[in-house]
Amino acid sequence: MSNAEFKQSEQASEQATDEQSASQSMTVSGESQEQLKDEWTDYQFDGAPKISVEDLDVFYGDDHAIQSVSMDIPKNSVTALIGPSGCGKSTFLRCLNRMNDRINSARVDGSVEIDGEEIYQDGVNLVELRKRVGMVFQAPNPFPKSIRDNIAYGPRKHGDINDGLLDKLLGRAEPEKEDEIVERSLKQAAIWDEVKDRLDDNALGLSGGQQQRLCIGRCLAVDPEVILMDEPASALDPIATAKIEDLIEELSEDYTVVVVTHNMQQAARISDQTAVFLTGGDLVEYGETDQIFENPNSQRVEDYITGKFG
Amino acid sequence: MSYETNDLVTEESSLSERVAAAVVGLNVLSVVMGFAAVFQWTEVESEFFGVSLFNLYGLALVATGLAVIALGVVSRAGLVDTTPDRSAGLLTGGLFGLIGVVTGGLFASQTLGFGVFGWLPIALLFGVGFGVVTVLPREDIGSTLPAGALSIVVGALFLLNVVTTEWEWEPEGFSAAFTGPVVGPVLTIFAGLVCAWAAAKAHEGFGTRGRQAGAYLLVGLNAFGMLGVLLLLILFVAGKGWSRMVEGVKFGLFSEPAFWFQMPGLDQYVVFEIPGVWFYWPFTMNGYSLSKDVMNGVLPSIVGTVWLVIGAVLFAVPLGVGAAVFLTEYAEQGGFTRAVEIATNGLWSTPSIVYGLFGYAFLVPRLGNTTSLLAGQLVLGFMLLPLVLITSREAIKTVPKEYRDASAALGVSQWETIKSVVLPAAMPGVITGVILGVGRIAGETAPILLVATGNLQASRGPQVLTNFHFTSSPPFVANPALLDSISALPYKLYATITAGVVSSDPAFGWATALVLLIVVLSFYAVGIVSRIYFRRKLEQ
Amino acid sequence: MIGSIDTRVRSARTTVEDMDRGAQFVDGVAVASVLAALAAFLVAPAYTVFPLLAFFGVTAYGWKSHQANTAKLLMFLMTASTIVILGLITVYLVLRSLPIFQAMGLDLLLKTNKPLWSTSEGVYSLVPMMWGTLVTTILAMAIAAPLGVAGALFISEIAPSWAREVIKPGIEILAGVPSIVYGFIGYTIINTYMMEEFKLANFGSLFAAALVIGVMSLPTVVSVAEDAIDSVPESMKSGSLAMGATDWQTIKSVTIPASFSGVSAAVLLGVGRAVGETMAVTVMLPHQQVLPDPIYDVFAGTETLTSLIAGQYGIASGDQMSALFAAGVVLFVTVLGLSIGSQLIEAHMERKLGGSQ
Repeated sequence: MSNAEFKQSEQASEQATDEQSASQSMTVSGESQEQLKDEWTDYQFDGAPKISVEDLDVFYGDDHAIQSVSMDIPKNSVTALIGPSGCGKSTFLRCLNRMNDRINSARVDGSVEIDGEEIYQDGVNLVELRKRVGMVFQAPNPFPKSIRDNIAYGPRKHGDINDGLLDKLLGRAEPEKEDEIVERSLKQAAIWDEVKDRLDDNALGLSGGQQQRLCIGRCLAVDPEVILMDEPASALDPIATAKIEDLIEELSEDYTVVVVTHNMQQAARISDQTAVFLTGGDLVEYGETDQIFENPNSQRVEDYITGKFG
Repeated sequence: MSYETNDLVTEESSLSERVAAAVVGLNVLSVVMGFAAVFQWTEVESEFFGVSLFNLYGLALVATGLAVIALGVVSRAGLVDTTPDRSAGLLTGGLFGLIGVVTGGLFASQTLGFGVFGWLPIALLFGVGFGVVTVLPREDIGSTLPAGALSIVVGALFLLNVVTTEWEWEPEGFSAAFTGPVVGPVLTIFAGLVCAWAAAKAHEGFGTRGRQAGAYLLVGLNAFGMLGVLLLLILFVAGKGWSRMVEGVKFGLFSEPAFWFQMPGLDQYVVFEIPGVWFYWPFTMNGYSLSKDVMNGVLPSIVGTVWLVIGAVLFAVPLGVGAAVFLTEYAEQGGFTRAVEIATNGLWSTPSIVYGLFGYAFLVPRLGNTTSLLAGQLVLGFMLLPLVLITSREAIKTVPKEYRDASAALGVSQWETIKSVVLPAAMPGVITGVILGVGRIAGETAPILLVATGNLQASRGPQVLTNFHFTSSPPFVANPALLDSISALPYKLYATITAGVVSSDPAFGWATALVLLIVVLSFYAVGIVSRIYFRRKLEQ
Repeated sequence: MIGSIDTRVRSARTTVEDMDRGAQFVDGVAVASVLAALAAFLVAPAYTVFPLLAFFGVTAYGWKSHQANTAKLLMFLMTASTIVILGLITVYLVLRSLPIFQAMGLDLLLKTNKPLWSTSEGVYSLVPMMWGTLVTTILAMAIAAPLGVAGALFISEIAPSWAREVIKPGIEILAGVPSIVYGFIGYTIINTYMMEEFKLANFGSLFAAALVIGVMSLPTVVSVAEDAIDSVPESMKSGSLAMGATDWQTIKSVTIPASFSGVSAAVLLGVGRAVGETMAVTVMLPHQQVLPDPIYDVFAGTETLTSLIAGQYGIASGDQMSALFAAGVVLFVTVLGLSIGSQLIEAHMERKLGGSQ
């Protein structure tokens, strides 16, 4: 039995008997057990975490998609979630703004706190939660409306812009405020120069990369605190991808960005810290990006990063 | 600028939420009571706990109206935590404006007796007034005040005995009168729905979530109402027709020799007998009978319907499936396919009576100049054809392109691919489509009325199988049964109305309707269940 | 060596040509015999049997020797027959209605003064029936369109899955209830109810008929609208929800606008159903070929195009029969127009959601 196999089987039995979180068991266990566990998720950083996940389990029917994951995500940084297909990283991301509520068979156990407030409890206002935690999807999904309407959609729905027929009749419409939000968001999304002359054209006429930046702009228009990105560049060509990556790095100055990617180079380029999920919804290692890619603690993570596994 | 509070977590239900929930519940109850009176389950004259039904409506409406206004006022005064928008919105305003127009118009023209030039301005004034009261104040007032007021006014009409069970109103120009027993419950239903809507908004604290709650309440009630109509319909027919349908059903056991063998040595046969079941169901096993002792049954109609369906399926299914394969697999997507698509969709929505006319002009003169089973089969086949074609095309289109590519990459010819890959994969969809289509044509009356039916007094159904024989002149094969008029279940039901059977023997009509419903709906049930089954199988 | 290759190539070519010739022969004879059968059925139905036998013979031979080719040919003929049927319906309806168009001219569709419909005077105007159809359709759709679209929204967007699994098949079964059953209930229950509670002068009224038609066209609207709403991609809805819009806001601002053309196609199909509905109105309406007085009196008893045909085909002949066919033409053209209109709208929707705009 090779070392790696031994570790894996050991870990499986550990999980079957003991539902304790990996980080907890790590702090109390000795060095020998650390090697057996092969989980390195106790990442320490300064300041209070923006997002704090404790013992998160997700089930799709009988399928255990996320296994007891705990991690703290620091403020105003880029956190990359990497791992092979089907490892549950997208599922994990969707837990952070409760988009999993849309899936009937999904069941979520455990705790997710945003700024210390639990989002899995009765009486949570999903509108408010998703205003704070925005999301950009894998495939660009602009609405079949004009570019302006796409950007203004969120603010209008939240009553930040008065734009209805009634407001126009009563002279309460705020076209200047809308213009300002549209311009700010499109500039932040680095697409303003490309579309400023055709704001009233249908957004579906844009190229894929432009559509994705438009979707990022649409998300920024609501002024979220956290932005979740689910493989935002996987459907795009290299040039569009580069633009999106630059944009993500810029955004991390003002926003907490969590980005799922299957592209390890991308994660290495853009992220401050990286979490590695391996098969079965296991968070195996979480830490500074440089450390993960240059000197991972876990043997399995090293195998994965060097392409021996996954 | 936003009125939304910035709390991520809202508190557990407050008193006002509980009041709002109670108002919604009470209003839904009044709506149900209203429907009960419209459907005449409850007598409008009846009393509950010494209170007449109309006064009960009045009390409920006034109480909930006051409660709804209170919910709005409490929210406006800031006594409870709510997130109202700046205005209830134009849609709500328009709705209440419309109510205002109707109320004002009726009041001015009927109570005050004004002519058009008198009542029209008053109606518009009311409408604009209601609309403005709704739109201008903040949402919590704008959406509760008019709703509450409407409810209180309607309630007052009952309590002040303006609208009573004897009340009657004959509007000019209509050959109908609106009477209290109808108007009272209808007003209650309407006011109850409006009030429940406002209370549902208040329950979620107005704002976007409030509007969602209000809309979901109405949309949900509507959906369950539709389901209620379905259940009501089926149960009603079943209730009326059941006893006649099963009248005289007899069954019992008899024994018959099943197998026997010779016992060696004894030189005797040993006979084993097993019990058989005999079953006699007069309503579906008898034909038309003149004698009073033998029950009148619908067997010829059932047999007629069966033969109609068989003929239509034999005609339409091969044609439809073949055309669907050609269109999807062979034909260039262009003008020809487009034309066929328009033709099939046009055929699908063509009214059945038009098929009847066509059969009357085209088939009847060519098939012996009389209504006949064969003409009916062909006309129903024409009707079934577009449905089979459309559903088969859809089923074939859902077969993944990869299957075809994989087969073609192995060097298999296109026809072999269709035969062994495409058709088997599309079969479930085709079968489901055919079953649903058969359900539709089995209940179709209009076309067979013109081309197939006539023989209402047959004692037995058409004997198609035993009637084939050869002749010396073309077309060499003859089958009088195919060229004779027949009866069919839907036609039998139609005939009970036109022949006046309904007035003399209504139960016969209800029982026929029930048999027809059972036949048609079982086709639908089988079709739907098989579709669910095939889908589940596909998803696994 | 060279010679043998040449022969082999040549022999291969001849087999291909032979096959082609055989297949062409089958194609030609089959098409010719089908055309002959159609012609024979039109002129002398008894002799249809000869070309039909020829057709079966040649296709049986073709199936043995050139199966792929014959199958394709058969399927082509099946496809063509669909168009032929639509063509035959059109031709026969128009042919049989020509006499009355010649006799009455446009008065057939426009005459509004009395007499409107009189066999003894030979006057036939379809105006009362067209008015009856219009009124019942409008009233029916006033019920079916809003309730149907709301029902579709509930099923595809709002309902929890258990409710969807109950309601969706329920609505489909509602679509299966034969119209004569509705008619029977309408005749025995609703007509009586209207007589008693609304004190109608007639047994049967446009209003009662429209009520029943409304309930009948409801399932059509629900099913087709639900398909349209369901086809809005999930990613579009997620995009809206992820920005914190409520479900209802998403439905109003994303789902309904994106599926608007499909939903209107559903309503148009419902209109088609309502226009063509025959049996329920036939048994519910008193067959009076007069305009209501005043014209907006929806409680009056008159006639619709469909009930006219079903009510009079048995006693009609000559011009009167021709007038019934004219009613059929009006129905057919209306419904065909609605069907084509809804198809154009749906094609528009596909383009829009496809993103090629």
